[in-house]
Amino acid sequence: MENPRLEMRGIVKTFGPVTALDAVDLVVGRNEVHGLLGGNGAGKTTLMNVLYGLYRPNAGEVLLDGQPASIGSPKDAIAAGVGMVHQTFLQVDNYTVTENIVLGTDVPGPLRLDLSDAKARIRELSERFGLTVDPDAVVEDLPVGVRQRVEILKALYRGAKLLILDEPTTNLTPQEVDDLFGSMRAMVDDGMSVVLITHKIRETLSVCDRMTVMRDGRRVETIERADTDAEHLAEKMVGSTTDPGAAVDAAALGAVDAEKVEEILSSVGTTTAVAVRDLVVVNDQGHELIQGFELELREGEIVGIAGVAGNGQVELAEALAGVRPLRSGSVEVSGRSMGGLATSTWLHHGVAYVPEDRHRDGILPTASITENLVLGSQRSPQVRRRGLIDWGAAKQRAVDAIAEFSVRANGPATLVGDLSGGNIQRVILARAFARQPRMLILHNPTRGLDIGSTRFVYQQVRKATAAGCAVLLISEDLDEVIALSDRVIALYQGSRAGEWQHGSVDAYAVGRSMTGLGEARV
Amino acid sequence: MSDTLTAPPSAASGPPAGPGQRPRRVVEALWLVVPYIVSVVLAFVVGGLIIAAIGRDPFAAFESVLTTSFNTRFGTIETLHKWVPVLLCAYAFAIPLATGKFNIGAEGQLLVGATGGVALGILWSDLPMVLLLPCVLVAGALSGAVWAGIAAFLMTKFQVNEILSTVVLNFISFQLIDYVASHVWPDRGAGHPATTPVGEGALLPGIGQAPPMHTGVLLTVFLVIVIAVFMRRTSTGFEMRAVGANLRAAQVHGIRTSRLAGAGLVVGGAVAGLAGAIEVAGVHGKMLEGMQSNFLILGIIVGLMARGSMLALPFIAFGIAVLEVGAGSMQRTAQVPVEMVLIIEALILLFLLLSDIARAKIRRH
Ligand SMILES: Nc1ncnc2c1ncn2[C@@H]1O[C@H](COP(=O)(O)OP(=O)(O)O)[C@@H](O)[C@H]1O
Ligand SMILES: [Mg+2]
Repeated sequence: MENPRLEMRGIVKTFGPVTALDAVDLVVGRNEVHGLLGGNGAGKTTLMNVLYGLYRPNAGEVLLDGQPASIGSPKDAIAAGVGMVHQTFLQVDNYTVTENIVLGTDVPGPLRLDLSDAKARIRELSERFGLTVDPDAVVEDLPVGVRQRVEILKALYRGAKLLILDEPTTNLTPQEVDDLFGSMRAMVDDGMSVVLITHKIRETLSVCDRMTVMRDGRRVETIERADTDAEHLAEKMVGSTTDPGAAVDAAALGAVDAEKVEEILSSVGTTTAVAVRDLVVVNDQGHELIQGFELELREGEIVGIAGVAGNGQVELAEALAGVRPLRSGSVEVSGRSMGGLATSTWLHHGVAYVPEDRHRDGILPTASITENLVLGSQRSPQVRRRGLIDWGAAKQRAVDAIAEFSVRANGPATLVGDLSGGNIQRVILARAFARQPRMLILHNPTRGLDIGSTRFVYQQVRKATAAGCAVLLISEDLDEVIALSDRVIALYQGSRAGEWQHGSVDAYAVGRSMTGLGEARV
Repeated sequence: MSDTLTAPPSAASGPPAGPGQRPRRVVEALWLVVPYIVSVVLAFVVGGLIIAAIGRDPFAAFESVLTTSFNTRFGTIETLHKWVPVLLCAYAFAIPLATGKFNIGAEGQLLVGATGGVALGILWSDLPMVLLLPCVLVAGALSGAVWAGIAAFLMTKFQVNEILSTVVLNFISFQLIDYVASHVWPDRGAGHPATTPVGEGALLPGIGQAPPMHTGVLLTVFLVIVIAVFMRRTSTGFEMRAVGANLRAAQVHGIRTSRLAGAGLVVGGAVAGLAGAIEVAGVHGKMLEGMQSNFLILGIIVGLMARGSMLALPFIAFGIAVLEVGAGSMQRTAQVPVEMVLIIEALILLFLLLSDIARAKIRRH
């Protein structure tokens, strides 16, 4: 390539024993949207953090506009025209958009902040690139999508010529994704370069000019958009794509359009497994976050709940798991009314819960795998002998579970807190499935997992539905919800905002309903 | 027996020791033991500097601190007699702590337990030992449990902070034993608030002569085993450890955490109450003001030093008992005030806590 904007050569980065980057090269041209594609843990964020001066590489060099650049801190990076928008942003909640953008830059006038110039410039930038935002709005009142635009404007305001976006589409609706991609186009047309970090093949295909695929800390390939397709990229990213269920998995991973998947995972029965009537649930502050929710789940059915985080997902999941009391309404599992019963009774009645926050709600970090697998059934007859817990038998079951669920660990005495996220999720699933659940509640079950573990979760869901278990899949990943579910329900402000059958889901319609713009309020 | 919720696993429940496992096991054990050794050595070095600074001979002082327990039969027996209440008060602190609750009320529970024991020991003083002694010990444990139960009730029903309530209950217990020792069964001739002696049948039999060791020591050894089995093998013990390891996860998995925390306090109170009854039946033969000594603070120190491991408690408590018994002879032979020993104990704890931070830093790489 002639005269590229960025060249990274042979970048190596290790964290203790982990080699996060193994001699990675990356070349980004001018006027180019460059996709950085790979599963979780592939090293994408680390590579860009090196560029942004957050990590010092063990080896390798960085050239900007052909000149060797020594970037030791984000400050150097910004001075060199590199801007980065992280997955989680640091914003001062009670400041306005303008104040947040200007914060940390040199503002003229030492005594009184005169932000009118800054405001004018922000208006100009936001018009030029289609990043609609009110400069006077207070940040805490803004939805995630708009807060992200603030973050992008922050980088542009500081004169970024190369903008890095780390997984920017997480938590955006399809409409917002389209808008974002439009803005990215406007930027490269204006002479900038953009690096889009994503694990969704479809996204790279729809907006990138070229892409680099990463796997296990290595660059697998860099290829022009015109020379590739979803299947090819999926193979580079995932490995083989021919085993059973691969089409669904690929869609859930964002390789292809989830709406177009015909194959289904589940085996829907005729018996009603779960009936939820007029459910009202309050959060810890006493606000009604679930209002009049209705749901019927049949045996072997997967129902997906799509929604933007914070619309009552946590409260719904915890109420249906028996962890949070029902304010009113009823929940019936296999014909038994569960309201008011102790959490342990829900568990024994076949309700299994895979919580969103694995570390906080799912595990005893300083306990062994054996002990974690016993958690919740410590009073059941299978675990006890003559009134005492039979640790010998528990250990044997743990050995079996480690094999069956391919947990990578040094044996059953390994402390669960020392495992990786994917292996922790395998332990949690092993525990849930050991009880032969009748209802399985999965909340963001694949968030942060590598591709292998993500597909493993899908396989387990498939196994559960085959055994007649009803599955409620609550996820912020719309592709995952659409690909896996027999029915998709949009959740907006604690109520149903629409319902679609598998095969007739329109992602844009779901997106509108998720943000309260849908006509199909039920 | 392993205790992996709180301490690295030991051989009994670990994975089958394959290649590569054994060095790891040794490394883990070293990580566990080395901080204790380093902390004790450092505490003695700093303590020695202080002793030298006040113009006394640190070597003479430490020699008498460390050898008194082992040089004479008298010292050994005294150490074992100290070990019992220190260890039981340490359990009274550590068992509720396993569920995340701080019992600062061991001395109140000990005193109320002593009151319960002494009451039966005096009222039923004619009963034979086979009947009276168990009654005294059980009454002690039950009284301690009830006393801690007040704090547990306030905590579970009204969310009253257990630290506050157990401390307040300590002060009430001082008034209570003062009343019992000076109005209910006062011993006017004692020259110090104390009750009249309990009946012969209420006394723990001694073993050996000049001086005898009371059998409360054996009872305590038995209790150590019972508590270890309880924490490791029973569902309730497992639930307590689960709550201590991650309260939220325990709730999500059906454990009734507030009930369990209350139970932990009550069990802790029972153990402290038993300590009171053993002091009555084994050491004093009556109840007297000040019999709680500094067992509360020693129990807390031991409980904190064990850093959550029930298995470590008996050993640490023994070390503390050695220091405590040596303190008196240190004052006699080296003219170093007995308080020096408390300073050293606090220093050990401090260095131990610092070692946690250091260890976390070192192990990251
Ligand atoms: N600060 C860190 N400390 C230790 N390991 C890290 C750190 N950051 C990333 N890693 C490891 O480096 C690898 C790549 O991570 P990352 O760059 O975040 O992947 P991606 O962004 O592609 O999902 C992972 O195995 C991760 O565990
Ligand atoms: Mg990342």
